[in-house]
Amino acid sequence: MIKHHPTFELIQSYVNGDLPASLSAGISIHAEMCPKCQQHISQLTEQIAAVSFEEDSFDIEYFEESSFEENSFEQLAEAGDFKLNIDEMVSNITQSKDITQVVSSTEKCISFNNKKYTLPRALNNMQLDKPVNIGKLSRARIQLSENEIHTSLLKINPGGGVPQHTHNGFELTLLLDGSFHDEQGEYHKGDFIMLDGSHQHNPVSDQGCLCFTVANGALHFTQGINKLLNPIGSFIY
Amino acid sequence: MQTNLLSKVTNDKSIPMSDSIDHPQLCQWLKAVAETRDKRAFTHLFAFFAPKIQRISRRKFPNDAQANEVVQETMSNVWRKAHLFDADKGAATTWVYTVMRNVSFDMLRKIKGNKEDNLSDDIWPIAESLQAEDSSFEDHLENKQLLNVIENLPEAQQQVVKGFYLMEMSQEQLATHLNLPLGTIKSRLRLALAKLKVQLGEKHD
Ligand SMILES: [Zn+2]
Repeated sequence: MIKHHPTFELIQSYVNGDLPASLSAGISIHAEMCPKCQQHISQLTEQIAAVSFEEDSFDIEYFEESSFEENSFEQLAEAGDFKLNIDEMVSNITQSKDITQVVSSTEKCISFNNKKYTLPRALNNMQLDKPVNIGKLSRARIQLSENEIHTSLLKINPGGGVPQHTHNGFELTLLLDGSFHDEQGEYHKGDFIMLDGSHQHNPVSDQGCLCFTVANGALHFTQGINKLLNPIGSFIY
Repeated sequence: MQTNLLSKVTNDKSIPMSDSIDHPQLCQWLKAVAETRDKRAFTHLFAFFAPKIQRISRRKFPNDAQANEVVQETMSNVWRKAHLFDADKGAATTWVYTVMRNVSFDMLRKIKGNKEDNLSDDIWPIAESLQAEDSSFEDHLENKQLLNVIENLPEAQQQVVKGFYLMEMSQEQLATHLNLPLGTIKSRLRLALAKLKVQLGEKHD
């Protein structure tokens, strides 16, 4: 049972196309597993689209003309301060005989310690680095060139965990497979867990799990000996 | 399941301006492009959408040349992908919006991150991005209260509601069957659902 979902604000930015690729992919992957969010997204897309393409004055004038006149485009161009050459663009576009076929892109897989995972569709064309290991953690960086935002696949092997830490920025953990728990409770496949700098947590996975993670600041370890780990905080997320 | 109907109604009502867009006409043009590569229909689509896409893009992109590129790319995709539009799954405006959003997203990545990886169609797959929301109405069939409420609608609205929900006819089929314009079917359905919502009342919400 999925219990953790993206907020309305995040879903709205996702629909608008305003989120970075990393977070957009996170919401897309979650929605694939969560019919409830999928439906929110569909409804919101419909509403935003309708509002975006609402009539405005010059369009209404145009629309009410029942007969179609050659020069109406010129009028339209002036009325709307529209500097595009409509005739030229239309004829260029319609010259093309190409029809785009939907190719179901081949599934992308990744192996962590000989366990093979098929990755969600949203990651199909993203560039994955080879996994690197530290203790019971393996991490494969996803190269998205989003500056301070780091995106990864993080495998926690059975019994492993991330030491108590806080975040400088935000940290998204999306469970792709398996489960983990922290002080707040248990998390399962599909859960979309967004934390900010005010949270401290110590996720542990008894059976092992695979997560999609996005973070915009290095982890900051908070407890005892773990403070020694701080230089490698940026390794994990 | 009752709430399903109500959320549909809510959704329906929360598109306040959609009446000002001639949705059936846009659908027809898109179909004409898909089926017969109709250039005239495409010209109409271009005239309707291009200025709006340009205006929206000007807010997202630093210069006009880039905004115009979004117009060019989006409308090219409309021409080449029209056959992927499925009128049963959503409005033409929704479909064109998703095409535009995807084009903008890939372009912004190219400008900001210098990445030409075109991720948008993986993140928001065009063909399936609009899931049909008309999930089955069967559970409502058992609900006598709902049936009673439907029976109390004016005859003209009853026909449409029963045909659409209980007999699962498409709005187009209803238009043909009842010999009415598609727009009339849509507005009757909208009115009927608004009434149902009022009559079924807040107790379900
Ligand atoms: Zn969800």
